[in-house]
Amino acid sequence: MAQIIAGIGIAHTPSMGMEYDKGLAHGFDPRWGIWYEGTRPVRQWLEDLRPTQLVVVYNDHLNHFDFDAYPTLAIGVADEFEQADEGWGKRPLPDLRGDPGFAIPLVEHLVRQSEVDLTICQTLKLDHGVYSWFPYLVDIPWNIPVTPIAVNMVRQPLPTSQRLARLGRQIRAAVEANDADERVVVIATGGMSHQISGARFGISNQEFDRRFLKALPRNMDKLVAMPQEEYMRYGGTEASELSLWFAMRAALSEQAQAVYDFYTSPQITGCGVLTMIEPEFADNTVQGA
Amino acid sequence: MHTQTSSSEAAAQGMPTPEFNLDWPGTLLFSPYLALKGHKLNKFALSLRIPANRQVYLRDEVAYMKTYGISEGDIALVLARDWSRLLLSGGHLQAISKIAAAVGQNLWHIGAHNAGVDVEVLKASCPRKVSGLPKEFE
Repeated sequence: MAQIIAGIGIAHTPSMGMEYDKGLAHGFDPRWGIWYEGTRPVRQWLEDLRPTQLVVVYNDHLNHFDFDAYPTLAIGVADEFEQADEGWGKRPLPDLRGDPGFAIPLVEHLVRQSEVDLTICQTLKLDHGVYSWFPYLVDIPWNIPVTPIAVNMVRQPLPTSQRLARLGRQIRAAVEANDADERVVVIATGGMSHQISGARFGISNQEFDRRFLKALPRNMDKLVAMPQEEYMRYGGTEASELSLWFAMRAALSEQAQAVYDFYTSPQITGCGVLTMIEPEFADNTVQGA
Repeated sequence: MHTQTSSSEAAAQGMPTPEFNLDWPGTLLFSPYLALKGHKLNKFALSLRIPANRQVYLRDEVAYMKTYGISEGDIALVLARDWSRLLLSGGHLQAISKIAAAVGQNLWHIGAHNAGVDVEVLKASCPRKVSGLPKEFE
């Protein structure tokens, strides 16, 4: 039976990606070197866990979708996912692999059993929502297939935090209904406190972010109950993306253990990461730093 | 509750500490009304995701924008790189950033325009630390 073995929540931001490229070529800017070092244990956990599939819940930033049709929830089913050109040209990175053999039954269960109204994308270009953090956690060549789920975070009305928590439970049910022997890690990504328009550009509420990281493993319900508008008020408009992290937490069991978290705020966006592992898989791994 | 200590870093740069409200000019929530108002503007901006379109656009900005049927007013705002008013015209930040990219600018330029400061001042002020927590976090 396919099983969800772990979950990761992680921030994303365009500069995280650009600074990775610069960092590998010329050494990291000190602010981003802190983030790079902070993600090393997560990279190690992920390697030790030996996942066979990654389900990634992220948000597009008008780099694939546009307002002709903006899906609330969309899923990619394809052999590969190309990097989106965000206007400044693509970064020198490969496409991501997909695995329709895993994604097709996943979608079948989500739509038919859980009645999730998914938009199904046979082409889905992935932007910094995935490409900015992915190289920090997975070494090239990127052999582990990815199934991306895109959540609308650009056009109101946004899906609620409750909806995203339910999506997590629905992902869990769909994975567990699969007879194949798959080890699945669910990764959810959304920027922590940040705002990139208006005079509040650059707002950074670091205590807010840290408390979110500490509360998510055991007190998700309290975080889900807080209106998204409060996230925007205290953490900047794009802090509403934290609601995507609920899909990761809710895809895991109550007993899942937080094994690592890290936080820094290099420039505009609060950069945090949280790793949680199901107890029966925690012993199979060599713990990172 | 809503206590807010000012950031010494931001203050040193002369930038005010961001407030906890969601009103313009601090914040603009991209409502469905703005989305409809800015539909053509955003369609034009997002066409610049394709590199070949960026080249055509840069050869004659006005002619290119006219093929997308955007208003004279919005054309003037684009030519003036008036990023703040373009947001009020219904341009989504993530779409307007594609115009900025095509003309050699980036998110910092848009943010600096929004905040009414030079790019370097904004860069030096970020992250603009605030403190204050919702009651759920206390």
